[in-house]
Amino acid sequence: MTVATRIEGSVVRTARPAPPKSARPFHASLLDAPWIGLISPLLLLFAWWWVTKAGLFSPQLLVSPGQVLDTAIDLAQGGELADHVGVSLVRLFTGFAAGAVLGIAFGALIALSNTAERYTAPLFQVLRQLPTVALIPMFILIFGVGETFKVFIVMKATFFVVALATYDGIRNIPKGYFDVGRLYQLPVGLRFSAILFPATVPALLTGIRIGLSRSWLVLVGAELLAAESGIGQMMEMSRQIFRMDVVMVGVILTGLIGFLLDRSLRLLEWWLMRWRRA
Amino acid sequence: MSQAFRAKFTRSGWRGLVLPGLLLLLWQWASHQGDVAAYIFVPLPKIGSDIVHLTATGELWVNLKVSLLRTCEGLAIGVTLGILTGALMALSRLADRLIGPLYHALRQVPLLGLVPLLALWFGGDETSKLLVVSLAAFYPTVLSAYEGIRQADRRYLEVGHLLRLGPADVFAQVLLPSAVPSIFTGIAQALAFSWLASMGAELLFTLGPGIGAMLLNAETAGSMETVIICVMTIALIGYAMNAAFRALGRFLMPWAAAS
Amino acid sequence: MSLFGNLCRILGLGLLACMLALPAVAAQPAVVRIIGIAGVQNGKLLYTGTPAVVQKQGWLESELGKRHIRLEWVSVSSASVASQVNEALAKKAGDFAAYGDLPSIIANASGISTKLIVPGGSLANTYLMVPWNSTAKSIRDLKGKRIALHRGRPWEYGFGKLLAQNGLANRDFRILNLNPQAGAAAVSTGSADAYFTTSNAYTLQDKKVARIIWSSKGESADWKMHAELWGTTDFVKRYPEITQLVATAFIRAAYWSSHPEHLDTYIEYAGRLGTRGVDTRREIEGNKISWKDRWSPLFDAELRKHYAGVNQYAAGAGLIARPVDVNALFAPQFAERALDELNLRSYWITSGDAR
Repeated sequence: MTVATRIEGSVVRTARPAPPKSARPFHASLLDAPWIGLISPLLLLFAWWWVTKAGLFSPQLLVSPGQVLDTAIDLAQGGELADHVGVSLVRLFTGFAAGAVLGIAFGALIALSNTAERYTAPLFQVLRQLPTVALIPMFILIFGVGETFKVFIVMKATFFVVALATYDGIRNIPKGYFDVGRLYQLPVGLRFSAILFPATVPALLTGIRIGLSRSWLVLVGAELLAAESGIGQMMEMSRQIFRMDVVMVGVILTGLIGFLLDRSLRLLEWWLMRWRRA
Repeated sequence: MSQAFRAKFTRSGWRGLVLPGLLLLLWQWASHQGDVAAYIFVPLPKIGSDIVHLTATGELWVNLKVSLLRTCEGLAIGVTLGILTGALMALSRLADRLIGPLYHALRQVPLLGLVPLLALWFGGDETSKLLVVSLAAFYPTVLSAYEGIRQADRRYLEVGHLLRLGPADVFAQVLLPSAVPSIFTGIAQALAFSWLASMGAELLFTLGPGIGAMLLNAETAGSMETVIICVMTIALIGYAMNAAFRALGRFLMPWAAAS
Repeated sequence: MSLFGNLCRILGLGLLACMLALPAVAAQPAVVRIIGIAGVQNGKLLYTGTPAVVQKQGWLESELGKRHIRLEWVSVSSASVASQVNEALAKKAGDFAAYGDLPSIIANASGISTKLIVPGGSLANTYLMVPWNSTAKSIRDLKGKRIALHRGRPWEYGFGKLLAQNGLANRDFRILNLNPQAGAAAVSTGSADAYFTTSNAYTLQDKKVARIIWSSKGESADWKMHAELWGTTDFVKRYPEITQLVATAFIRAAYWSSHPEHLDTYIEYAGRLGTRGVDTRREIEGNKISWKDRWSPLFDAELRKHYAGVNQYAAGAGLIARPVDVNALFAPQFAERALDELNLRSYWITSGDAR
């Protein structure tokens, strides 16, 4: 009986009415409070602070939160942080835009044309498996060591994810929709804009969101290995001169940026999908 | 990733080989465009002889074995913990609200970016690499287990309720089986990520055997043919593992093939 | 006295005995851990350089074994040795390390206190390369151009000296901070106009994708990269006799390595990292300093000058926040005593002071 009640609040709506509010345990309503989500991160932060205060590890091993904050402020004030983050983000968005556009185009092509699919499917599958990080030496050899190869790395990561999402999105459109289009004798253009596009958008947006996250991961990895600027490079250089506080600033910042990118796209998704909720 | 697309692969037949064939020809042409070009686009015969050499000395297999073993170990650890955590989060709202934020925050940190910290805390040997691979497998599995259990068809739950099944039975006989397809997809993703993470860990932790380490050594020594062979091996093995896993899925859950 | 009382007495005496014995027990460690560079060949982890020689000689292991102390080797890979060793030292995962000069200064600057126990080593060279078709003949021709240099690595000091020698500074160039693999790729395709690196230069030259236009072979030891024996201050202060054993073992190894007839074996050890034998040989040949002299473990003026220079450079280049007290880093007493014990006092002094 309790399991059914727990699930009741989320996905399942059974015929039984919810018990009166007073009968529900106190902690059930407490859990709905928005600030509950902050508890574990704050606990972690506190644990981190406490461990460094207690001196359980040498300061080179575990940098205190205070130190990390100080370093972050220093870097921000010196303009270094803005430089590195800016450079990384420019690479990300350039590569992502290019990769996403190509991915959508290619995904649509192979979804709509069987011939195209038959010619390109095997190559696509194998190329998709190529580990981006291991390709760096070859990319550098081909594209040189400037911004180009980093943008291409991001493009590679984005392209495959988005292309596949587009393909899935289009292929999974129920046949019925197209039948309706044919029945109403809609012109091709209208079929695209009124049927194909809106039906694909949910899967597409998910694909784009995942593609962006993956690209960010891949870009930071690539910058760690072969870059002369950017946040990954900042982390690698600091590692060389044993400035673990800067490394930590980098780690937290990359996580934060990834988180913000993900959330913003989710927000966009939510806003664009409002017709679904109606 | 869709079944239909993969099915088409086998039906492609010879057509699927046209583009790769053209690329190989292009490659061979490029390798004759001077010394620098030959450095990058190593002539195919040279690659071929290197493949023979590597397989003859067993070097390729030794390194491959280590990487595969680590991937499997990390996968096992990450998937087990992932399913447990995901299930916990799906069943207990308290756990969801407590663990959820931490999970989402940690997931956003690029794994390879954690390497300097992991190297510092756990050393640069197999333990740290295994940790990276386990984390890579953990993330997608948690999500898929969570979603799988939460999206259990309510009709089944109603049946369970009608039959007056206790919570344990509901979990074991209704929720878990209906979550299996989702979990399976999660594991497939985890497999792909684990393999890539294993490579990435080797490239950044550098010490120890493995295909990634072999690639790095070849790169330092300037033998680009070995680099290319390593890259292709990584891609092909990744593809083979995914294909094998999906075949396993179709075999184990024929009823889920329609979804 | 009751049984309980007697029991308490026995326990108390036992505790007292333990406390008295403790200092004696703690007078030596259970294990000595030395960090060295290793590579994997056919699935086996093999060390290179002096640690390899020390292992082969087996003397240290047996000496420690007599005292019931285990000898453990901690491996790091040849890519990015400095950060791996410093991380291991920070974690207290090693007591000694056979690694470089600049990384040790960086470690001490960040609070990891170490002491130089035995100097001397193969003194690796650095090389300046340009793309194969480049017309540049010296560093001066490259003014304003892009140079691939992995910063924070030991060879950055040599680069600084090259610039200073020609009256140039970092700001006269566009420094691309790329790791060695990326740097090699950059210079071979002309994406960088120059590349400052170590012995992998020969491989690139053989493949005709880049040319060496300058090397540190003709310069003094100050220009070369030092990989020497360092020990944590903690260990050195607590266990001086064990430190002495390690120092003696390393000087024995240095003596062995300095003989030309052992060069082949030494090169074989270097090959464990994947470097080709012919490259190592070319790197060793044609140097102003003789092979034997490179191994000199004397704490002479030249050595002190080198470390003062590295210290100053690191502070100036922003690699460390402020200079460290270089003189506090030296612990010459162990090497001195080892030379006396092994009767090698005259072996290196007579080779002249061109160290």
